[in-house]
Amino acid sequence: MKVFDQGGEAVAAPALLEEVPPEHRVPVAGVREAIARHRARRGGGTYTALRWLGASVFVAVLLALVVTLVSGSSEAFRHSGLSFLWSGTWDDNRKVYGAGIFVVGTLVTTFVALLLAVPIGVGSAAYLSEMAPCRLAQPLSVLIDLIAAVPSIVVGLWGLLVLVPLFEHHVEPWLSRLPLLGHLVFAGAPLGSSLLLASVVLAVMILPTVVALSRTALSGVPVADREAARALGATRWQVTSRAVVPSARSGIEAAVTLAMGRALGETIAVAMVVGNRVAMPHGLSTTLLAPGATLGSAIITTFGEATPGLQRSAVIAVVVYLLAISVAVNAAGQILLRRRQRQRSARVAA
Amino acid sequence: MTTLRTTDTGDVVVEELLPAEVLPEHLASGAAARRAAIRQAAGRTLGRRRTATRASHVLCALSVGICLVPLVALLAYTTARGIHAINLGFFVHDPTPPGIPGGGIRNAIAGSVLIVGLGALMAIPIGIVAALFLLERRGRVATIVRFGADVLTGVPSIAMGIFAYALLVEPLGHFSALAGCFALAVLMLPIVIRASESAMASVPVDLREAALALGARRSRVARSVVLRGAMAGLVTGSLLAIARAVGETAPLLFTTSSDLFNLSPLQPTGSLPLTIYANGTQAFPEAQQIAWGTAFTLLVLVLLLSIAARIVAGRLARGSRWDNSRSKR
Amino acid sequence: MTQDTVTSETQTEQPDMPTAVPTPDGAALDGAAGSSPARPPRLSDPLPDTGNAVTLQGVGVSFGDHQVVRDVSFNLARNRVTALVGPSGCGKTTLLRAINRLHDDAGGTVSGSIRIGDLDVYAKDTQPELVRSRVGMVFQRPNPFPNMSIFENVVSGLRFNGVRSKTILREAAESALHHAALWELVKDRLHSPAGVLSGGQQQRLCIARALAVEPEVLLMDEPCSALDPIATAKIEELIARLAADVTVCLVTHNMFQARRVSHYTAVFLLGDDRRTGQLIEYGQTDHVFEVPMDLRTKAYVTGQMG
Repeated sequence: MKVFDQGGEAVAAPALLEEVPPEHRVPVAGVREAIARHRARRGGGTYTALRWLGASVFVAVLLALVVTLVSGSSEAFRHSGLSFLWSGTWDDNRKVYGAGIFVVGTLVTTFVALLLAVPIGVGSAAYLSEMAPCRLAQPLSVLIDLIAAVPSIVVGLWGLLVLVPLFEHHVEPWLSRLPLLGHLVFAGAPLGSSLLLASVVLAVMILPTVVALSRTALSGVPVADREAARALGATRWQVTSRAVVPSARSGIEAAVTLAMGRALGETIAVAMVVGNRVAMPHGLSTTLLAPGATLGSAIITTFGEATPGLQRSAVIAVVVYLLAISVAVNAAGQILLRRRQRQRSARVAA
Repeated sequence: MTTLRTTDTGDVVVEELLPAEVLPEHLASGAAARRAAIRQAAGRTLGRRRTATRASHVLCALSVGICLVPLVALLAYTTARGIHAINLGFFVHDPTPPGIPGGGIRNAIAGSVLIVGLGALMAIPIGIVAALFLLERRGRVATIVRFGADVLTGVPSIAMGIFAYALLVEPLGHFSALAGCFALAVLMLPIVIRASESAMASVPVDLREAALALGARRSRVARSVVLRGAMAGLVTGSLLAIARAVGETAPLLFTTSSDLFNLSPLQPTGSLPLTIYANGTQAFPEAQQIAWGTAFTLLVLVLLLSIAARIVAGRLARGSRWDNSRSKR
Repeated sequence: MTQDTVTSETQTEQPDMPTAVPTPDGAALDGAAGSSPARPPRLSDPLPDTGNAVTLQGVGVSFGDHQVVRDVSFNLARNRVTALVGPSGCGKTTLLRAINRLHDDAGGTVSGSIRIGDLDVYAKDTQPELVRSRVGMVFQRPNPFPNMSIFENVVSGLRFNGVRSKTILREAAESALHHAALWELVKDRLHSPAGVLSGGQQQRLCIARALAVEPEVLLMDEPCSALDPIATAKIEELIARLAADVTVCLVTHNMFQARRVSHYTAVFLLGDDRRTGQLIEYGQTDHVFEVPMDLRTKAYVTGQMG
């Protein structure tokens, strides 16, 4: 047996080594082999295989999802070409398919939903983070998060059976009587089911996202910034508006983007209240009181009766369209969120 | 205070640490006037600034109120109208043809249990194993898995329903509970993966490394250290995934739907969300009544699952032994 | 240009020798800039009386049941540097923050009386924001506003207080940056973000920001503890120069810094109950360090305690 010192020179074995029983002495040169033998004998192979299996199954499912949908939609894309993405005619009889109406509906409802949810959501987040007494902030936060826990079908049912009559008989007539907006945006007969109602329902559903993420962004602004502003003679509102909110801006942007992604993914509740008009009206009317359709609601209303072949392929093409948009928006939101986290840790380290 | 500095020419120069900044004349002479102007502005604007504070408090508190109104309205309406529909018969009878009273949702409850249960059975083990994979590996596949999980959580659930349709309904020729399970499993998978991964990551690296150093196999380490330590987080994540799946309608629309009581995976079954959708969209008051009752049942179910998840998460926080969790990722 | 800096020896380590810190003499009191270094005060020279900018009488601060500091009475002499020294946890910072009412937001209760000139800081009809525009504060870690440029940072206090005139903003900013010995450094990049400055420069930026509002008193809470020795030396020199224009109250746990920089020193120690801080001694710095009246002060300054 050889014993080596740190320089690699062989030295005489110290006396202590003689006390180690022969069967426990492992030659230095053989240690690596011993470990390898140990590993091979005990075989961690099954565990590794299992983990790879889990990962592979997941990746396989992902790939299968993409492949199935893309191949299912290929017939429609070949038939209509790129104009599918914006053409406004969806006619079964003439075999013309274009998702333009749905895109307009999606854009309008998402935009109006954000218009409603972002100010209210960020204002609530500011209250919870900066102004509410400590004991009140946490329970209120939990309550607002509760909205997110309600299944969308229940929200849809409430929207359909409670809000539609409410809007039809009270809200929309009132809106169409407004001096300027009444003619521009709230024109037309009040029917209840409309782009407006769909926007309101979407706004309710994305509020918890906006509030929770904005609150995190605002609370994450370091106390030092607030103290600095306070010590200069700023009032509490000035501290919030000039020192806290500008720092939290990137977090709030991430919150809004993720809320937009959430709105895009909401199909069933929207389908129940949007009115489902699958034809572009003659001349582009700009009223929110009109019934319409979004990408999600169109899928739900047309897939069931779609004949296999071109028609079904067209609906799957709408699915792919919606998928692409919501994945892009969600990915953007995640990137913004990660960038903000990196900014914050860089600032702490500085 | 002074320092010594060596210039290019090799001389040593004694320098002030701080440059002597001489205040220009016009600034020095205007100082008193400036001070007075600042004091005056401060005093004059204070009233306005404080009003702005009060106004913003009121507006933001109002925002919170506006947030809570839909929640309260939703819960109130669902409870009020749902409770009317509920009696014992509601839970033990199957649906009756439209217009005929006495129907119940027995098939829907059984169907939901079957679909969500089987779906969970598919998704949770695979999700946990995939999370274990993410824990130990760092390469390109791991990035794909992590990125895929993030992306999949943002995918509209209707896409999963259509996917299941293409995969399992078209070939079989008819709806089946299996197709529904599959769609829900695909929905739950990313949720389970992300929740499990974060639960496992909170088990300190030091414990795992200590176990490895003692000679334990990786599988043993996973079993005894990681899974045991992350158990509460895994349970919470699974409960939340189940709570989410129970309420999803879109994946089931084109995969499974039935009014019959059925427990066989190869046949279509009813489900709570679809019962709500089918009944709620009808014009018959009795159907709408059933829809409210089912909605109330679903709400209670989801609430119980969420509360259970919170309790388990609370026990995780309270009984946590990882006081100085310094897990590095 | 190579810079081999060797700091001169007369700086730090020798507490028993008066150090070569330029201090303003009586003639510079009327606000003339660029005061020449005078010989440091010796034990035999009592400081000329300048009156008191701030008087504290029986001040105590408590949070709920916990009394952090009790029965503090001393003064901040006008245009002088007063140091508050003592081991950590004796309530020096808490007391400092009571002067500009920073405890209002944190739920602290302040008893006793604090007066700035004639103004009773805690009177019912005194507006805290107005107090804070007359009393500036510099914190332990430099905290310039991250999203603002250098200029914006300096004038932020003026903006908060409702000053809109561009002339006043510009002049006040330039004056403050001169006083903080930053003007030459930043005059060409006033609109770069504040993050381009080093730690010590950022702290001077915070000093400039506090000075721009032309406060009568400047409170400094361990302003050098997050800085390297060279930056610390610069700030100490700056503090000595600033006394000509504002009254400075400096909290420091570094006795040597207090000896170098301050005219008056107040020593804080934990009371006998080991929970509440108390003022043990207050007087001219040299007297406190060389011939302290209280045994406990003597134990502290000779390093036997704390």
